[in-house]
Amino acid sequence: MDIKRDYYEDIRLLGSGAKRFWFGVMMLALAVTPFLLPGHVLSDVNFIAINVIVAIGLNILVGFTGQVSLGHAGFFAIGAYATVLLMSAAQFVPFPLALLAAGLIAALFGFVLGLPSLKLEGPYLAIATLGFGMAITQIIGRFSVFGGRDGIQVPEVHYLDRLFVEYAGMTASAAKAADLYFIIIVFAVAMTIMARNIIKTRVGRAFIAIRDDDIAAQSMGVHVTLYKTLSFAVSAFFTGVAGGLYAIWLGYINPESFGFIMSVLFLAMVVVGGVGSIMGSVLGAIVISFLDLNLKQNTIVQIPVLGNVLVMFTDAVMDTNGIAYVSYIIFGLIMMLIVVFEPLGLFGFWIRIKKYWKTWPF
Amino acid sequence: MMILQPLIDGLAIGSLYALIALSMVIIYKTSEVPNFAQGEMAMLSTFFAYYLMENAGFAFPYAFLGALVFAAVVGVVFEFVFLRREKEVGILGFILITLGFERILYGIAGWKWGSEQKLFPSSFAPLPVSGSTMIHLGGVSISQIKLIIVIVAVSLIGLIFLFFKYTRVGIAMKATQQNATAARINGIRTKRIMSLTWAMSAVVGAIAGMLLVPGTNTSLDANIMLAPLLKGFAAAVLGGMNTLVGSIGGGIILGVIEKFFGFYISSEFETVVAFLIIVIILWFRPGGLFGRHYVRKV
Amino acid sequence: MNRFYSFIIAMAFASFLILPGCAKKAVDERRGVTDTTVKIGQWGPQSGPAALWGAVARGSDLYFKIINEEGGIAGRKIQHFIRDDGYQPNRTKSEVKQLVEGEGVFAFVGGLGTATGMAVKQYLNDNKVPWVNPSSPSSHWTFPQSKYLFNFFPLSSTEADLLLKYAMENLKKNSFSIFYQNDDYGKLGYLAAKHILEKKGLKLAEGVSVENADTDLSSHALKLKNANADVVIMWVNPKHASIILGQCANIGYKPQWMASSTLSDMAIMYKISRGLWKDMIFANFTESPDSDSPLMKKYRAYHQKFAPNERWGVFYYAGIMFAEPMVEALKKCGKDLTVENFVKAMESIKDFQGIGPKITYGPNQRQGANSIFIAKCISDTKAQKLTGWLTSDFDVNEILKQVK
Repeated sequence: MDIKRDYYEDIRLLGSGAKRFWFGVMMLALAVTPFLLPGHVLSDVNFIAINVIVAIGLNILVGFTGQVSLGHAGFFAIGAYATVLLMSAAQFVPFPLALLAAGLIAALFGFVLGLPSLKLEGPYLAIATLGFGMAITQIIGRFSVFGGRDGIQVPEVHYLDRLFVEYAGMTASAAKAADLYFIIIVFAVAMTIMARNIIKTRVGRAFIAIRDDDIAAQSMGVHVTLYKTLSFAVSAFFTGVAGGLYAIWLGYINPESFGFIMSVLFLAMVVVGGVGSIMGSVLGAIVISFLDLNLKQNTIVQIPVLGNVLVMFTDAVMDTNGIAYVSYIIFGLIMMLIVVFEPLGLFGFWIRIKKYWKTWPF
Repeated sequence: MMILQPLIDGLAIGSLYALIALSMVIIYKTSEVPNFAQGEMAMLSTFFAYYLMENAGFAFPYAFLGALVFAAVVGVVFEFVFLRREKEVGILGFILITLGFERILYGIAGWKWGSEQKLFPSSFAPLPVSGSTMIHLGGVSISQIKLIIVIVAVSLIGLIFLFFKYTRVGIAMKATQQNATAARINGIRTKRIMSLTWAMSAVVGAIAGMLLVPGTNTSLDANIMLAPLLKGFAAAVLGGMNTLVGSIGGGIILGVIEKFFGFYISSEFETVVAFLIIVIILWFRPGGLFGRHYVRKV
Repeated sequence: MNRFYSFIIAMAFASFLILPGCAKKAVDERRGVTDTTVKIGQWGPQSGPAALWGAVARGSDLYFKIINEEGGIAGRKIQHFIRDDGYQPNRTKSEVKQLVEGEGVFAFVGGLGTATGMAVKQYLNDNKVPWVNPSSPSSHWTFPQSKYLFNFFPLSSTEADLLLKYAMENLKKNSFSIFYQNDDYGKLGYLAAKHILEKKGLKLAEGVSVENADTDLSSHALKLKNANADVVIMWVNPKHASIILGQCANIGYKPQWMASSTLSDMAIMYKISRGLWKDMIFANFTESPDSDSPLMKKYRAYHQKFAPNERWGVFYYAGIMFAEPMVEALKKCGKDLTVENFVKAMESIKDFQGIGPKITYGPNQRQGANSIFIAKCISDTKAQKLTGWLTSDFDVNEILKQVK
């Protein structure tokens, strides 16, 4: 890691030439991805990119400000519903605007949920946020304005899919996935940079000061009330936008889809990725959502050797149809072992690899 | 007499929440983290008791004891394998480890016993206690098991209170919780104490699980403990995470609010309103109803 | 841990992420059909909170094995792909897309869950993938209709209509309470029952809802007792049904209980309700397990042969029922199997009866049946058939207008 000599160097987005180069390579890679991957894989990538936004948003709250939240599925639901309702109730609202408005609505709720955080912390705050997450889905399910328990179908959004079909020779469904990919990836990249900038500025330093010690921060002149609620609002904004994208991706939303387990998965992404690291959130979101999508009965059975052993073991001792549950065991183990062996999460592994190669032959 | 019935029901279910809360508080007191695997530890122990009764033919009392031993072993093994590390994982890391363990236990239960509902006996035969025999007092009625639940919850909390106050091990636990380094310097094997704490908490949780199933007339499957765990956690927070009395107080208040609201206004919102009330109470008493205000070292 | 191991682990993760992307398969025009095989997909939770219903997919699998054993259809063997989605819509979406675009399946059968199905309904229709008989009751499937989606699962409004009619005409009861699970399925039953009673000038004594996660139902039971209706009709899952029966028996409330078809697995219901299921009057969407219709006898024999470890439960062989019309249509298509031909063959199915109700599809008719029969539980293995197959003429649109 290079030594930074002054403040301006620290806040610069792309400091050195090498960084600029790699950033360019990454952007290029992101741009060509949809033309290389088949449509259904791209669709999974879209889902993962949505989770990246959530993980970064949650990390601002959990990792940088030190507040726990078990209710982020609630913000996700608010974002999803607000986007869909704005688009279908007020026909003239274009999708990106609806998405930003949904983010702001979620931010407003985040601000409200931030208020208890002024007095509560640790498990007390966890319970308050958990209650919030439960209440949101109940309220959405109660009122028919929100589609009630029946759920609502999401209107389709497309911009470029015709072009992809005509010029890139994609099938219709792959073109749709590619179209959605560009919408999602633009938001994901923009919001990653946004999060990075927030952290590097006065606001971010206030967050970190609060995380490290809120009393000390207060005595240094940080407005704790403001920044704690602001942190909730910013985090909710990210999650809300991601929720809107999720609604578009999935095509149908109903209150039961936004449960406690979803909040747990979000938290797992942050912690597995690395608390207080944006790069870590990206890694964590990728790994956790990849496992969530792909650890299932038919993939486990196909693992060489282990798969056969598991099937035989299941037939001999376990319930005949229980083998699908092995996915939970593997998922839990991976989650635990990453944290047990590297408390900094995947970001910690990344740092080690970087160090290793920096001094490689020596 | 209709007004008393929700009160009695609330008292009974509140005592169950109190037992789960108690098991969480025991862990919280020593390591300052909520243990999200508590519910599944109880669920798996209950399944183990079921296994002993169905497949090995033990009578309920022996299966019950067997399951308690099993729970203690699970607690100790978990502590030993995953938590006893040189590296400091931090509170969030710790929460995630318990969440991971929760997934694993859920997976094991589903793998072994499948997804179909299992019948856990509702009577403690040969003991004369049954979930379908009712005791009538005035106009209200309560099943024998629910009465047992209340008695067990209250007496267990009393016992544990005495345990912490008067026994050497209990005092050592308290010392470890207040300052682990100082305790070690004074000759307390803090690691062993931690294992014991986990065993104790797991046993209390297992008792809660095995009373919950016949007490609420439910059948047994891998999903039964998720909601009760969250309620128990909420009860612990309501009462104050660092007090034993808090868990019984919080549990019963939560249960009674829930049942009254569910009966008189809307069963749809009983859980949500209970959580809302908790948040309001916490706003005025941030350390829980019975806890001291949360004082942090700077 | 030293540097080397961390590197290995990181590389393992990286390859884990990159590898699946490399498996790119070309999908030809006649997706999923060759001269010797036809690929059929199905999703159903084998794990997670709804895994109880996962038996449906395994039942369909048994049926396809039977078909293959008997020589297949027009020389083609059926390849059946079951995907476990854990009842999560995002996973259903991922898996269905993988099956359609990666594996290239011809059609889907069954498919469990409203949210999971809705996540892919539009996609399947857009890509002209036929989807035959979703195995969850939802008004979303055929209201409005879509070209490639066929359904005959009776809606909860159908059950409401027929159960109420039976109770009023045959049992001469006039006061009803509803105990329903608070989701689209339960709520439709509740609203329909309320609507039907209002039309008759009756008032619902009480409607009590239960959340999926609830475990203690004492206040629910108390509410039902307080309303003191003669009949209580349930649209809930098996766990809640057994709990509420126990709780109500404990506080001395013994109405005539009636249950929806999702609770028709009598053997297990009788067991987990500790015998309280006796005298339950319940709706059925498929033959009873011990039925001696020739088809059922045949399936039972094959069940012993292919999957002896599996319990012969209602939802297991319901999987057969959901797949029967599909196989019928495949047979009609014969050698010339294309999607459009298949849809035409499905549309030409008229008065077809396997182990379910009589099914009729048509060019503008995607809801193949709206039928149940009513039975009464005598003991854990014996049910008494109270009626033959009944068809409801209740118009669900009346309710949907209220909901939307």
